[in-house]
Amino acid sequence: MASHPVIGYLVWAVLFGAVFAWEGLALSHLSGTVPTLSATFRAIMRYPFGRWALFALWLWFGWHIFLRGWHFLLRS
Amino acid sequence: MSSSLIRSDLIPIVSGYVLLMGTLAIGLWLSRRPPRPDWAKPGRARRRARLPPLPERWQHGWPRLLRHLAATAVGGYLLLMTIVVLYYYGVARVAGSFLDSAISGCALLIGLCLPIFAAASWLTERRARRARDAADRDRHAPADR
Repeated sequence: MASHPVIGYLVWAVLFGAVFAWEGLALSHLSGTVPTLSATFRAIMRYPFGRWALFALWLWFGWHIFLRGWHFLLRS
Repeated sequence: MSSSLIRSDLIPIVSGYVLLMGTLAIGLWLSRRPPRPDWAKPGRARRRARLPPLPERWQHGWPRLLRHLAATAVGGYLLLMTIVVLYYYGVARVAGSFLDSAISGCALLIGLCLPIFAAASWLTERRARRARDAADRDRHAPADR
């Protein structure tokens, strides 16, 4: 596995932390105007093209994570 | 920054970002737009309104869910394949049977996930129906005490 500088991982951690913090703010109803992630996805999925785009994103993610570069286990 | 890096990394990421944000923006704009009167609708919407409605049994329950699932899966698959083919021929000829893997791999994912999703939906619905039936029986049963 390639070794990367720690700062690279830290940036990812901060970005994911920001997503969770924003979702937490939305769920707490403190601001009252921040939509939750679910509300955002509901807004996108109201229309067919939004559903197709999200499904394509999900498919792309699954293809990259589970299938890309994968070989059948018994194949030499 | 080298031109190959711009072509193979920067352009796809920026294009993906623009596509995603564009979809979000259009969705937001459509959801906040006031409803238009029938005469002001574009020709396509008027034609759609004139189309004969689907049979009643296709508009509820399982047929509706299956229709919705199939439309989403086929639409999403075709959209992703369009993007993948455009990326392959327009941006970078990725080695290692990239197109074959995308076409067959994504079809395999759909083939695996949709039946499982349908089965899980059927089991959930069956459990909910049994709970409703049991509650109905309890309500209508004569009080023994």
